[in-house]
Amino acid sequence: MARTITIDPVTRIEGHAKVLIDLADDNSVESAKMIINELRGFERILVGMEAAQMPLITARICGVCPSAHHLASVKALENAFGVTPPPAAQLQRELLYMGHFIHSHAVSLFALAGPDLIFGITGERKKRDIAAVVEAMPEVATKALRLRTLGQKLNELIGGRGVHPVTAVIGGMAVKMNDKKLSEAKAMADEAMGLYNELAPTVKELLGKMLEEMPTLAVGGFSLPSSYMGTIKDGKVNFYDGELRIVNPDGGQVAQFDVTKYTDYIVERPVDYSYTKPVFLKQPVGDNDLYRVSVLARLNLTDQMETPGAQAHLNEYKEKYGPTCHLTIMQLWTRLIELQYACEKAVAICDDVALMGEARVPAQVKAGRGVGHVEAPRGTLIHDYEIDDKGIVRQANLLVATQQNYEAINRSIEQVVELLGVDDESLLDGVEFAIRLYDPCLSCSTHAVGQMPISIQVQKNGKPVRHIGRRL
Amino acid sequence: MTEPKIKLNTEWLSVCGGCHVALVDLHEKIVDVMKVIEIQRSPLLTDEKGFPPAQIGLITGSVRTDHDREVALKMRESCDKIIAFGTCAVYGGIPGAALAHTAEDILDKVYLHNPSTDSSKGVVPNRLVPKMDAKITPLDEVIDVDLYLPGCPPHAAFIFDALMSLVKGRDPRAKEESICAKCNRVMKKSEVAEIKSVMDGMPDEDTCFLSQGYICLGSVTLNRCAAPCPQNGVVCTGCAGPMPQILTEPNRDIRTELAARMAALTKIQPMDVVDEIEKSAKSYYAYAMASGMVRNKPTFFIEKWIEQVEKV
Repeated sequence: MARTITIDPVTRIEGHAKVLIDLADDNSVESAKMIINELRGFERILVGMEAAQMPLITARICGVCPSAHHLASVKALENAFGVTPPPAAQLQRELLYMGHFIHSHAVSLFALAGPDLIFGITGERKKRDIAAVVEAMPEVATKALRLRTLGQKLNELIGGRGVHPVTAVIGGMAVKMNDKKLSEAKAMADEAMGLYNELAPTVKELLGKMLEEMPTLAVGGFSLPSSYMGTIKDGKVNFYDGELRIVNPDGGQVAQFDVTKYTDYIVERPVDYSYTKPVFLKQPVGDNDLYRVSVLARLNLTDQMETPGAQAHLNEYKEKYGPTCHLTIMQLWTRLIELQYACEKAVAICDDVALMGEARVPAQVKAGRGVGHVEAPRGTLIHDYEIDDKGIVRQANLLVATQQNYEAINRSIEQVVELLGVDDESLLDGVEFAIRLYDPCLSCSTHAVGQMPISIQVQKNGKPVRHIGRRL
Repeated sequence: MTEPKIKLNTEWLSVCGGCHVALVDLHEKIVDVMKVIEIQRSPLLTDEKGFPPAQIGLITGSVRTDHDREVALKMRESCDKIIAFGTCAVYGGIPGAALAHTAEDILDKVYLHNPSTDSSKGVVPNRLVPKMDAKITPLDEVIDVDLYLPGCPPHAAFIFDALMSLVKGRDPRAKEESICAKCNRVMKKSEVAEIKSVMDGMPDEDTCFLSQGYICLGSVTLNRCAAPCPQNGVVCTGCAGPMPQILTEPNRDIRTELAARMAALTKIQPMDVVDEIEKSAKSYYAYAMASGMVRNKPTFFIEKWIEQVEKV
C-alpha cells in the first residue's frame, strides 16, 4: 500500500508551508512536495500603480529581504528609463546591502539553523529555538545576535529604515553620505568584522561535529547534482550587480547573460498543488533542467571572491569539497563564507572615498520595459516592469529566489526522508532541516507569507497513513 | 521575590514577516522587554506550536485564508489582550490593494498571462491548496482588538511603548499626531505652480515637500515611524495609514486634505492635486484601502479610478 506523510507547519523558516510525502508500496519515497498555501498576487496588484513608488511598495513583498526587493526594483526602473546612478550611489547601495546580508546570513546561520547545528537533527523536541541556543551557548548567541543587530543597523543607517528601506530612488540615493554617517557605518562594519572572526570557528566546528555524527549528510544520499545560477562581476561573486551566469552540474559554463534576457534561459512552470511557481532551465543540460540559486550556487559559479579573507576561506572550502559541490548541507558553510565577504566588503566600502560623492542624477519617465536584479541572500531576485508614458506600471513580473529553489527543496526532502526512513522519530526535524538549509523565504516565493509551521502528511495510494504536525 | 513574567504569544497571518523582524529590531531594548515579558510562542522565534494562555497576544498580518481566520480566533481565545500589530493587521496593508481585483483576475495574471511563465498547459493551483480569497480583511473585522499599532513596520519606540503599556496597565504614550510632528522640514509659501513627480528635480533638503510641489502624505498620516522618509529625502507614502480624524469622519479624505494644504502653500490648484491622487489612487491608498473605514467612504471610488487608469 502506498502512503503519504504530511508535515504541517514547518518552523524556523520564513513563511507558511506544509509537506506531503507519497510512499510507494515498498515504503520508498515516490515524491515529496512542499505546499505553499498562499498567494498575494503582487503581479496584479502592482499594475496601475505609479512606477516611481515600486521600490517602496515592492519592499513590502517581504519583510525578511526588503532590501533586495527595494534595490532590484530601483534597478529595473533605471533600466527602463536609461539612467545610471553615480558611483557614490552604487557604493551606498552596496553598503546598505552588505548590512542586509550580514543581518540575513547571521539570522539564518545562528537563529534559524543554530538549533540544528547545536543539537543535531535528532535532538529532543521543544528545545530547538533561539532561547535554547542562548541557554546552550550564551556567549556565541550574544555575539551572533549582536552581529545581526549591526547588519540591520547598517542597513537602516543607509536605507533610512531597517525593515522596508526607502532611500534608493531612480537615479541614485535620496541623500548624500556625510561624515557622521560614515563614522557610524565604519564603526559598525569594523565591529561586525571582529564578531565574524570570533564566531566563524564555532560554526565550522559545529558543522564538523554534525557531519561526524551523521556522515550520510556529506555523502551521496544528500547530494543533489543540479545546474547553478547567480551573479558574477569581473569573474567574481557579486550581490548587487553583474551578469547572470549558469553552470552545469560539472561546473562548466552554460551561459552568461544580461538579466534583461532572463526569459531566454529560465522558465516558470506552474503546478496545481502549490501557489509557488517552480522555475527551470529553458534548455535542459542533458535531461536535467533543475538548477539552484543562493549561497551554494553562487560559490559554485567561480573560484574568485572580491575580498582576501573570503578568498582564502573559499579556497579552503573548495580544496575540501571540489570546485563544484552538490552537497545541500554545504549551504551552511557557503553562507558563512558569504557572511565573511559581506563584512569585509562593508569595511572596504567605508574606506572608499568615492562613497562620499554626489549620489543622484536626474531621471525622466520613458515608456518601455525595465528589468533589474540583485542576489538576495537566498538567491537571484528579478523585477521586470512595463511602464507607460505616464509612468504607470502596465505589467509587473517578479521572479524570486525560493521559487527557483522550490523543486530542489522538494528533491532534498525526498532525500532526507530516504536517509531517515519514514517511521523515524526525527522525520519532522529532518524534513524541516532540509528545507531550512535553503533559507527559503516563503513570503517571497508566492509573494505571500504566512505560517512557517509545517505539517508532514505521509500517504500511500492517496490515503493518509501518518500525520506529523504541530497542532494549531 | 521577582514578579512572574507577562506571557506573550505572537502569530502572523497574511504578512511579509517584517513586523516580526521589527520586533527583533528592538535591538538593545529587547533586554528590557525580556525582563518583564516571556515570549512564549512565536512562529519565527520559538518552536511552540500550541496556543497556551497568555496575557498579551500580538498578531501581525491580515486575514486572507480560513487558516488565518482560525488562528486569529485561537489567539483571541488564548490571550487576554490582543494587539493588532502593523498596518496589515490594522488596515490590510499593501496586499489590501487586491481589493480592486477578483481572485480570477489575480490568478490569470500570475499563472496564465505572465512573461516568464509557461502557461501552455493552463495550470492554475487548485489541488491541495486552500482556495484563495481576493479580499483582504483587517483583523478587527474577524476578532476584537484591544490595541492598534499601525506602521509598516512600526518604529521600535512605539513597539516598546505598546508592550509596556499593556504590561503596566496604562494608556500608551503614543500620540495622535502626524508625521509632520517628527519632520524637520520647514513649511513655507512658494510660487510653485505645478505638481512634481518624485523623479522631478532634486528636492531641497530643508523645505517641506508640499511647499516644493511634491505630494507627501506626511500631514495626513499617523506618526508611528518617527518620520524616517522625509528625514532621508523621500516623501511619505502613508504606510502607517491615515490620521484617525480622516478615517472616522466620512467626508474627510487624504486627497481633499492634501489638496487644501498644498493650495495654501503653493500656487497649485486644489483640483490638480485631487486629480493626481485619483490617477495613482492605487499607490496613494494602497496601505489602508482594505479597511472599512476607507473603502466604505461615500467619496472613495477605487474601482472607477483604477478603471480610468488601466484602460488603454
